[in-house]
Amino acid sequence: MGLADVSWAFSEDLSGAWVWGALGLGALSILLLALETARTERRRFWVLASGVLATVLLLSAVLRPVAVSLRANSVGPKVVVLLDGSTRLLIPSDGKTRRARAIAAAKAISSTFKDARVSVLEFGVGAPHALQGDGEGGSLSVESDLTAALSQLNSLAQEKPQAYVLLSDGRLSRPTFDDDLTRLKQLALGVPVHTVSIADVDPPDAAIRAVHAAGAAVAHQPLSLTIELGCSGGLSCNEIPVEIHELRYGVPKALLASGVAKLNQDSGKIELQVTLDRAGTRVVEVSIAAPPGDSLPENNSRVIAFTVTRDRIRLLHVAGRPTYDVRSLRMWLKSDESVDLVAFFILRSNEDDTRTTSNSELALIPFPVDELFTEHLPSFDAVVLQDLDAVAYHLAQHLPALARYVESGGGLIMVGGPTSFAGGRYAGTELERVLPVRLLSSEKPFDLEQFVPSYTDSGRAAPVLRGLRDLFGDALPEMPGANILGAPRENALVLWEHPRKKIGDTPMPVLALGEAGDGRSIALGVDGTHLLAFSEFADEGSGRGFGALWDGLLGWLMRDPRFEAARTELVGECSEGQPTTLMLTRLPSMQGDVTLTLERLGVTQVEPIIQRIPNPPPGPIKIVLSDLKAGGYIAKAKIGSAPPTRYDFACERGGQAWSDSRVDPARLGRIANITGGKAVTVSGLSSLPIPRPAEVAAERRVSALLPAWVWSLLAAVALGAHWLLRRDSGLV
Amino acid sequence: MRCISRQSFLIGVAASVAAPSALAFGQAGAFHPRILLTGSTTWAGPRQRAPERWGWELVRRTSAPARAVCQTVRASDSRLLAEPFCVWAGEGEIAPLTRRELHFLGRFIQLGGVMVVDDFEPHAGIFGRAARRELARVLPETPPVRLDPSHVLFKTFYMLERPVGRVLGVDHVDAIVRGNNAQVLFLAHDLLGALAQSENGEWVFETESPDPMFREQAARLAVNIGMYLLCSDYKDDQVHAPYLMRRRAAR
Repeated sequence: MGLADVSWAFSEDLSGAWVWGALGLGALSILLLALETARTERRRFWVLASGVLATVLLLSAVLRPVAVSLRANSVGPKVVVLLDGSTRLLIPSDGKTRRARAIAAAKAISSTFKDARVSVLEFGVGAPHALQGDGEGGSLSVESDLTAALSQLNSLAQEKPQAYVLLSDGRLSRPTFDDDLTRLKQLALGVPVHTVSIADVDPPDAAIRAVHAAGAAVAHQPLSLTIELGCSGGLSCNEIPVEIHELRYGVPKALLASGVAKLNQDSGKIELQVTLDRAGTRVVEVSIAAPPGDSLPENNSRVIAFTVTRDRIRLLHVAGRPTYDVRSLRMWLKSDESVDLVAFFILRSNEDDTRTTSNSELALIPFPVDELFTEHLPSFDAVVLQDLDAVAYHLAQHLPALARYVESGGGLIMVGGPTSFAGGRYAGTELERVLPVRLLSSEKPFDLEQFVPSYTDSGRAAPVLRGLRDLFGDALPEMPGANILGAPRENALVLWEHPRKKIGDTPMPVLALGEAGDGRSIALGVDGTHLLAFSEFADEGSGRGFGALWDGLLGWLMRDPRFEAARTELVGECSEGQPTTLMLTRLPSMQGDVTLTLERLGVTQVEPIIQRIPNPPPGPIKIVLSDLKAGGYIAKAKIGSAPPTRYDFACERGGQAWSDSRVDPARLGRIANITGGKAVTVSGLSSLPIPRPAEVAAERRVSALLPAWVWSLLAAVALGAHWLLRRDSGLV
Repeated sequence: MRCISRQSFLIGVAASVAAPSALAFGQAGAFHPRILLTGSTTWAGPRQRAPERWGWELVRRTSAPARAVCQTVRASDSRLLAEPFCVWAGEGEIAPLTRRELHFLGRFIQLGGVMVVDDFEPHAGIFGRAARRELARVLPETPPVRLDPSHVLFKTFYMLERPVGRVLGVDHVDAIVRGNNAQVLFLAHDLLGALAQSENGEWVFETESPDPMFREQAARLAVNIGMYLLCSDYKDDQVHAPYLMRRRAAR
């Protein structure tokens, strides 16, 4: 800080036109005086001099000249250090991480630019933020977008820096190596961007650089995945085996495809086809077997969550005998364009007397039970077993496969009837463990007492029955008996119960929902839901009750968001070691305590993470999870007594950020060149040019050279003297 | 499966006799050819036991359960809406339907019910014409159409070439079709006449042809109608197509 120049001005208060007019008039007067004095010889000099003096003083009396002094402050240059905030910088480098080297470099810049005002900002996606503390902790981003960071800084109303210093390994998300850097130059606003490459050497690394899907994932349709591989740091890679697995809940991961990728000049790609049979979010792991010497095993696998859609729900409907209940369900399923129905009804047994001499007189085909439940079973999204005797129709031998099908993500509905549940000899089978209720083989298989099912609290809260309750409230038609069902399993919810019959001390379930592995199952222990389609009761709802019930049941089975109590989403991405945020949005009618249960996919001994939020206020709920390891996860959110909603997601160590571990000093050099900065390495920090200090005008003082009356007095005296000299010289 | 069906059939007998409105588990969805009554008509005469025979034929030939004792239902009674099937059978002229009868018949059709109109005197055709006239008041915008010989009705259980009842009648079935469903079937063959038996188990009427297969064809039509009711267009599913085409070709 110091005094700046002192200057003066002709006038403080007159405008430029008046000043220049007065000066012109004065100059004209002097010119005329000079011409006039040219005619006389006597005292010519003194006449001219006194005239000029009088004119100047007269002009000064008119203009009143002032002195102007400016006092200015000088401050150190503003330097903004932009630290790459990507998780990519957690890649090890010389015994430390690249991030540790970057933070050390930031500190070194602060001490190198002693007189500068240095601020360190970390950038990832969007606006950069100040580096917290020593930079160890905090939330990192997968991306590092320099273009967005500069754009955000420009939008702030603040002093423009004299220089940016970029600390990165060069492998920025934007600008990419091929990007035109003109845009970046514009965003820099003429400020030089100096770059510091914080790593010099590529680690020896074989990696999955990228996984691309050709189009959207559709259930049962082959999906081509292109896996790009890279090898760097002097590692020798010719052929790399690749495998793709699907991570499933409670069961080992399933191999979907495998192959061997051939690398040419340290890069290569392989295309593999996978078929995901279940719709919804499916978590897939792509992995490679890296050659010896690979220093970064973290990027040898990618865990990716695919949102698998379906064009239509492919449904297998198997009924043991045709009844009005079968008719109603078939007609409703056939009327739904979103359902691709494959139906098999047992129309006769070997004991029936068809009174024919040849099978050609019959329009019957054998029940292809073996073919259906081995070859074709995975192609179905859900299976409806309706009043089918498992032993009589040779289904019993396929029940273990059917159970595995459910645990792998398939849906199952068992509909009541005399030969359903225990009556169909399902008690004690593998299939029983995936049903939401236990079966009691010792009891009679069904009860003949007529009854009206009662809604449970869960039934009233469940979105799955909302459509039916909108039509009839709590009313239901009278059912002609029920299958005897045991107690609900853990994680099962009973929506309808018997008003009188009990299992132990609790009412017998009539309609129950449950989760089994990756799949869902429903037990409906009555054969009279057709009374919601056709009956005097049904007429009150114009027959829409049946569709409302089955739309809900099938929708819930297929995880249709309409029938879930809440929607869960991952905020950002899940990276191992970084906090993971889940956003839970409840349906408006969903109230009560929220319980989030987080479990790992696959076979694991890890205890689930459970978070309880007692009666939270309305609105989205943000749930932060920490210490998640890489892998697939299933988050189950239970709102009050409603059935839980499920959300699958993937968590990675490294992930996309670590997919390419190579440093890119060339890109940093291009950025420095185009913005007028300098590209250096960490060891060359001291060679960075120090910007000039910035000067800020702070004070302007104006003072008159002489008071106006003094100018007038002096002008009058000078004019008088001039008049005397003129007279003396004979000009008057 | 037959055991189950027969067990159900017997349960149905017991349930029907004990309390007409109280059905046992597994019986509420059983085939039940209810006789539709309009005006002041009653159900009596030689064909009185034909509906039970219809159910019996279904049970002994197929896995479908059927009610052993069949009931009548009046078109003016809301119980018409209790089940999705009825048979409107008779001869001669029909009194015009009352507004209440029109209302319930309209609701029956709207809910998806299936009705068989069976004319005892198809040669005269008075009942059939009257039934069409009255049903036109129920469904004025849906006139009957002739079902194609390839319609699923002719292959729901048996492969049938044409409809047959007590008489040979016309070689086709007219129907009121809504959506893809034939909801009213007009038979001009006296199907119940072919199924009618006396208390002694003897056939009440001779069929038009003395060939035993003639009555057998009528029974098969009855079975197919029952299976059409219970399975709708199941046999039109793609999975059955190659089998049925081969069988048609083999015949």
